[in-house]
Amino acid sequence: MTVTGSIHQVSPGKKLPTNVRGLLFVRDQGLLVLWLAIIVIFAFWGAPHFFTVPTGVSILNSASIAAIYAAGVGVGVMTGVLDLSVPATAAFSGVVTALLLKEGAPVAVAILAGLIAGVAIGVINGLIVIRGFNGLIVTIAMLTSLSGVSLLLANNTNISQLTELRFLGTQTYLGIPAPVYIAVVLYAALTIFLRMTRNGMRLLAVGGNAEAARRVGIPVDRYRVAGFAISGFCAAVGGIVTAAYITTAVPGPSIGIVFSAMTAVALAGIPFSGGRGSLPRVALGAVVIATMSAGLLLAKVSSNWSAIITGALLIGGLALNMWTTNMTSKLLLSGQDVPDKKVTR
Amino acid sequence: MIAGTPALELRDISVHYGYARALDRVTFTVAPGEVVALLGDNGAGKSTLLKVMSGVHRPSSGTVLVHGEEHEFRSPRDAAGAGIQMVYQDLALVDSFDIAANLALGREKLLKGPLGWFGFLDRAAIRRESQAELDALAVRTAPVTRPVEMLSGGQRQVVAIARAAARLPEHGILLLDEPTAALGHEQAELVEALIRSLADRGTSIVLVTHNLPLAFAVCDRTVVLNRGHKVADVPTAEHDKDLVVSWITGASVQEGLEIPRAGDPPAA
Repeated sequence: MTVTGSIHQVSPGKKLPTNVRGLLFVRDQGLLVLWLAIIVIFAFWGAPHFFTVPTGVSILNSASIAAIYAAGVGVGVMTGVLDLSVPATAAFSGVVTALLLKEGAPVAVAILAGLIAGVAIGVINGLIVIRGFNGLIVTIAMLTSLSGVSLLLANNTNISQLTELRFLGTQTYLGIPAPVYIAVVLYAALTIFLRMTRNGMRLLAVGGNAEAARRVGIPVDRYRVAGFAISGFCAAVGGIVTAAYITTAVPGPSIGIVFSAMTAVALAGIPFSGGRGSLPRVALGAVVIATMSAGLLLAKVSSNWSAIITGALLIGGLALNMWTTNMTSKLLLSGQDVPDKKVTR
Repeated sequence: MIAGTPALELRDISVHYGYARALDRVTFTVAPGEVVALLGDNGAGKSTLLKVMSGVHRPSSGTVLVHGEEHEFRSPRDAAGAGIQMVYQDLALVDSFDIAANLALGREKLLKGPLGWFGFLDRAAIRRESQAELDALAVRTAPVTRPVEMLSGGQRQVVAIARAAARLPEHGILLLDEPTAALGHEQAELVEALIRSLADRGTSIVLVTHNLPLAFAVCDRTVVLNRGHKVADVPTAEHDKDLVVSWITGASVQEGLEIPRAGDPPAA
């Protein structure tokens, strides 16, 4: 029996059609183009101070810390988890590290403890969520209660003069501030983990379609908890680096962190449905937001307009992403038949 | 394996939900390399029977034998261990992954040496193996690096079936639940070709479907359920469509087939 399988049967050597490849290019490089456009616009609008090295360094700094939080939220989203407790975990880790330093603990121990604290919070979040509770609500609850714990531990005051942490904060190496290096290492490690290791792949599978993972025997719950743990770890890194940067541990959560992180994730085109995404693009998203903020500041735009423009940017980024995805599907599933391919039996 | 032993045999399977009997002493066999259609209207018990075969549901009574050996499945993993794989209607593919990754999920190949100990994937090997698995099924489809979300419905079904087939031992049993439900005619033919190809390799296939032309085209035997009872069990070639339809609607029952009545002793 000869079956003509003409529907979308492309022989192995053939590449995707040109128009589809063009669309994918827009989707993939659009953010970079946007960033370059922003730089050009503000080079003129924010002259003479925008297009300078000090501004560049300042942008890099704020972008790095935002990027660290964005990594946590991004990995969470890609693995099927929206972790809103990040600000509280960051503050908590900062407080833990600061308190240990004040007690005279060695710097390495204090930092390690802070990181472990972050992971522990993530694991607790995960263990509760796999019982069947809604992830969003659980992490919000954790945000609230953990903030209380941090304030209790820190006696409702900031813990300042954490000069021991300066090497992680304002210290520059080869002219580049420490947070940048930390962000780069974190992103490299996470990207390699997700793209090239078996556990990373399975984590993405659980995020993309938990049922698919379950059917092939992958222990889904374990990976869900791991997703939360990674998010908690990134939050901890962010909290400790922030404390290092201002040499103060603030026990109250900065809620804005998580919204900037989510904006960076959305700009990077990562769907909140999970299972896919490019972490490096999340870093670029954080850079775009930081560049935009710095530019608007230097162009002396009022903060109200600044907020409106950032919001519009976010919607614009999402819209472009949706458009390219839909167009790609449409183009691939229509009129691309290769009528002469046969399946012979 | 003794010649003539069915690959899968369900003897006197009953499934009760309280007073309701989803299945009433159903006996069902599939020989190695045989394709059996499981037909019946909604509520006839087809899904329940499939669930018993796939280990999702434990029967209230009756036995399940795989290649002559009795098994008690406490979960789908037990059934998979016995050589039974099921492809559900929702396919459950990871849309963002390509064909190779979907086929390899759960059995990913690692690099040799120290990188492998850290869990690093051998992508080239995964691609090669996936291509080999598809080639062995004699189906030409998109390149294995194509994300499955860019595939047509028929191609996605092919990938889902290939994923299950790759996990089957020789003379394994494949359960398909409405594989052509959302497909057009040409795409259904793709799936049909794949089913025949698998059967030729010795895989037993149970096909639950509402698509009667597909059932007649590809199945060696036809079993019809109605309200939890088996009302027909015949070689496909020997009976015409109208008769089969009347069995499905309950208008008639296969000549000579005994429907167990409540209170009857179990079959020998």
